[in-house]
Amino acid sequence: MRPAGARKDDVTEQAVLAAGLSAGYGGRPVLSGISFGVAAGRTVCVLGPNGGGKTTLFRALTGELEALTGRVHVDGQPAYVAQTERTRLDFPVSALDVALMGSLAHGRWWLPPRRSQRDAAARALDRVGLGEHSGVPFGELSGGQRQRALLARALVQDALVLLLDEPLSGVDPASARVIDALFGELRAEGKSVFVSSHDVESARRFDLVLCLNGTQVAFGAPGEVLDRATLEATYGRELIVLDSGAPASAVTIQHHAHEHGAHGS
Amino acid sequence: MREALVEVLLLGAAGGLLSAWIVLRRLAFFTHAAGSATFPGLVAADASGVSPTLAGVAVALGYAGAVERTGRAGREPGEATALVLVAALAVGIILAGDVFESSAAVDRLLFGTVLGLAPVDLALAATTLVLAAAGSLGLGRAWAAVAFDPEGSLALGLPSGRADLLLLALVAMAAAAALPAVGALLVAAVFVLPGAAARLLTKTIPSLVACSVALALAQGLTGLYAAYWLDLPPGPPVAVIGAVGCGLLALGRTT
Repeated sequence: MRPAGARKDDVTEQAVLAAGLSAGYGGRPVLSGISFGVAAGRTVCVLGPNGGGKTTLFRALTGELEALTGRVHVDGQPAYVAQTERTRLDFPVSALDVALMGSLAHGRWWLPPRRSQRDAAARALDRVGLGEHSGVPFGELSGGQRQRALLARALVQDALVLLLDEPLSGVDPASARVIDALFGELRAEGKSVFVSSHDVESARRFDLVLCLNGTQVAFGAPGEVLDRATLEATYGRELIVLDSGAPASAVTIQHHAHEHGAHGS
Repeated sequence: MREALVEVLLLGAAGGLLSAWIVLRRLAFFTHAAGSATFPGLVAADASGVSPTLAGVAVALGYAGAVERTGRAGREPGEATALVLVAALAVGIILAGDVFESSAAVDRLLFGTVLGLAPVDLALAATTLVLAAAGSLGLGRAWAAVAFDPEGSLALGLPSGRADLLLLALVAMAAAAALPAVGALLVAAVFVLPGAAARLLTKTIPSLVACSVALALAQGLTGLYAAYWLDLPPGPPVAVIGAVGCGLLALGRTT
C-alpha cells in the first residue's frame, strides 16, 4: 500500500521523497512547502516546536493523511511508532503480543500467528533488551520499556522506512541508550529512520536534520543546518541559547505548554 | 420457556464474544445507543405489521454506518451518539403514545419478554452467534491491533477502517438481535457487562474472550431463572445480576 499521491512509475533513488507537499486536517494545511529526499540507510532527525507539523508529516508519509498538494513517495509501507502516551495502558496484551502485532503487516492477518512469527517477535524483543520481559503486561512496563516494545513491533514489521514520533522523550537513560544504538543498527541494515525530537544536541548524531515550523525551515546535514538562525526560525521564542560561543552549542527549547518554566533538553 | 432458554444461550454466547471486543474497542456507549436507537423503529414496525426484529436490525445497521462516517470525518462520535440516543427515545415514546393503548407493549419493547419469542428471533440470535464467532476468529487479531493503536495498525497495512466497520455493524446487529429478549434499553447488559467484568479478571485477550463468554452465559441463565420465578421480563434481572457482579469485582480490585 502506498501513500496517496505516490505513483508506481515514480522511479527514484530516494527511499523517501516529498515534493511540494502540504498536508493537514479538514482541507486546511498544517504543514506546507515540504520538499526533501532521503536515500536508503539514512537517519533523519525531525526538529520543530509542538504543533510545528512533525506528527502531520509522519501521517502524510504513512498515507493516513492525503497530500493536499504535492506528492510523497515512500519505499513500501513505513512502520510508525506514535508517542507512547497515546498507547493504551489498560490493554490486556504482553510485550510479546505487541511485538507480534508487527507480523500483521506480512499479510494473512486473519490466521493465528505462525511459529516463525512468534520467533521473530521474541528475537525483536531480545534486540531491544526486553527478552526477559516478554510476558509482562504492556501497561506494567516503564515508559522506556513500552517504547522499546513498540520499536520491537516495528522491527517485526521489517519496513524499509521507520517513522518514530519522539521515541526518546521521557524514557529512562538505559532505554535511551538501547534505542539510540538501534538507530545505528537500522541504518547499517539500509533502513531509513525518521525520528522526531525536541533535543537539538542529539540531532547532531543523525545523518540529516529536517527543521519544521508549519513549513520547511531547513533540510541538510547537521553541520549545515544547526545554526542559530535556523533554530530561531524553527522554534521562534521557544529557543534559548545558553552558550553563544560555538554555533548553537548548547540550546534548550522552552515549552510554553509547561508551567513553572520547565525546560526540555 | 424452552425458546427463552435457547435464546438466552445463543445471546449469551454471542454477547460474551462481542462484549470482549466492545470493551477493548471502547464501544460500550455505542452499543447502548445502538439498542436504544431502534426503539422508534420498533414502535413503527409494531404499528405497521412489519417484523419488529428485522426493523430493529435495519435501524441499528443504519445507525452503525452513521457513527462510522462521523468517526471517519475525525469527529468525536460521543456527542452524536448521545444526540441520537435522546432523539430516538423521545420519538419512540411520542410514536408509542399514538400507537399503543396500554403501556405494557412499550414495556415489552424497552425491557424485553420471554413469552412469544418468534422463530425469526431465535434465527437472528443464532446468526449473530455464528458471525460473532467467525469475526472473533478471523478478525480478532486485526480488531485487537486497531483498538490498541489505531495509527500504528494503519501503518501495518491492515484494512483498519473496514475491520472497524464490520465490528460496528456486527455489534449493531447483535444489539438488534437481543431486543426481543432484553429490550431496547437493556442491551448493554448483554453486550457490555460480561466483557467489563472479564476485563477485571484477565490479562490476555484469549482469556478475556473466554471469561466474557462464561460470565455472559452465567448471567443470562441466572437472570432467566430469576425472571421466571419473580414473574418479570428477563432484561432487568439479567442487567441487575451482571451489574452487581461487575460492581463487586471492581470493588474487590480497588480495595
